[in-house]
Amino acid sequence: MKQQFTRRNLLTTLTGVLAGLATWPVARTAKAAVQKFFVSTQAPGGYDPTKHKWLMAIDVDRCIGCGLCVEACKKENNVPEGESYFRTWIERYTITKPKAGSGETRGEVFVDSPNGGIHGFPPNTIPKDQILKSFFVPKLCNLCQHSPCSQVCPVGATFDTPDGAVLVDPKYCIGCGFCVQACPYGCRFLNPITKTAEKCSLCYHRITRGLLPACVEVCPGQARIFGDLKNLSPDDPIQRFFESNKAQSLKPHLGTGPRVLYAELDKEVR
Amino acid sequence: MRRLFKLPPQIVRLVLLTIGIVTVYCTARFFLTPPTFAQYGWFRGDALAEIAAREPVHAGKKACDECHSEEYQKVAKFEHKTVSCEACHGVGKPHADNPDTPIAKLAFSRCVRCHEADPSRPKWLKQINSRNHYTGQRCTECHIPHQPNEVP
Ligand code: SF4
Ligand code: SF4
Repeated sequence: MKQQFTRRNLLTTLTGVLAGLATWPVARTAKAAVQKFFVSTQAPGGYDPTKHKWLMAIDVDRCIGCGLCVEACKKENNVPEGESYFRTWIERYTITKPKAGSGETRGEVFVDSPNGGIHGFPPNTIPKDQILKSFFVPKLCNLCQHSPCSQVCPVGATFDTPDGAVLVDPKYCIGCGFCVQACPYGCRFLNPITKTAEKCSLCYHRITRGLLPACVEVCPGQARIFGDLKNLSPDDPIQRFFESNKAQSLKPHLGTGPRVLYAELDKEVR
Repeated sequence: MRRLFKLPPQIVRLVLLTIGIVTVYCTARFFLTPPTFAQYGWFRGDALAEIAAREPVHAGKKACDECHSEEYQKVAKFEHKTVSCEACHGVGKPHADNPDTPIAKLAFSRCVRCHEADPSRPKWLKQINSRNHYTGQRCTECHIPHQPNEVP
């Protein structure tokens, strides 16, 4: 059946088209109103993440195991008290001497981290004459380039920022804990108060203000070296670190591409 | 047009239902996607600014230098030059914001936290055994924390 071209038909079509066109600005205004109510933020501007590339490096030989960094991190980031909530922590490695005639290079490896090292370390229980060597290893988020934690997040709450941090958006996090399982370095935990995932944010609120991360600020041995790779000063500590050290990452075989590099790392450290 | 309605009714219902769901989804997406989503990647760009908006707790060395520059320069000349003020004196923001807020007094535990002898500590660090190193005397009787190589 062929449609007849009448005035009535023309008018209805025209009205339809006009109404359609009119919905667009109306929808836009409505959208703005809805977003103002539900999704907008009052966050300050002025910081451009594309102009920075932050990085932390660890010199294991400079760590004296005082645990000031752990204490400072908890205070700075309001990390809950308790044995399992840490954004950074210190591990003590103790490697014993091999048994005489065993033909081994080293004996057993003991790792401890009493309360993350937040109050320093009690004296080693292994007698001194049995210790082949012992050292402290500061641990934190490794800022993976191919971060497993971001890949598994079902809601896009964990993400890699353009300036080299891996952050958690607490407003989007649903607390499913997938990322906690995915991180091969054990760097994440679920905050028992907010019920969202938490981890080292490189003290994002500090570095964007030109301050050092809290752990770097208080580290008396300068075991933690921090810098902005896109804005290197002539004598930048992070530049010097890479010039004067042979750096290595944790668990390189996993392909996570950790950006946090360690100098003087022993093969037993995982 | 006519053909469509010749389709079995259950198929038509299914098609209509699908169209309905897709429309609801598109509308919700249109209204509820934050404006800064996908600004830098598959996440909310505003989250960066929100996380950055938190107030720092540690003031940082520079803030101490504003009033105590004499001490600051003294420390910089001696072996404790790598030690920042807040490493020993604790969180400094309240004091930096309002100088009337006192800064914590230091105790013996502050010194031995780093300097107690321990086989795990690196060799370059000066270490003592507090059980036989002048017991009963305060560290500061012999050592000035800001100038550890000087004798008082
Ligand atoms: S170390 Fe863990 S938390 Fe940090 S980026 Fe890698 S997977 Fe994520
Ligand atoms: S503050 Fe520095 S030296 Fe002390 S435990 Fe932390 S990383 Fe090691």
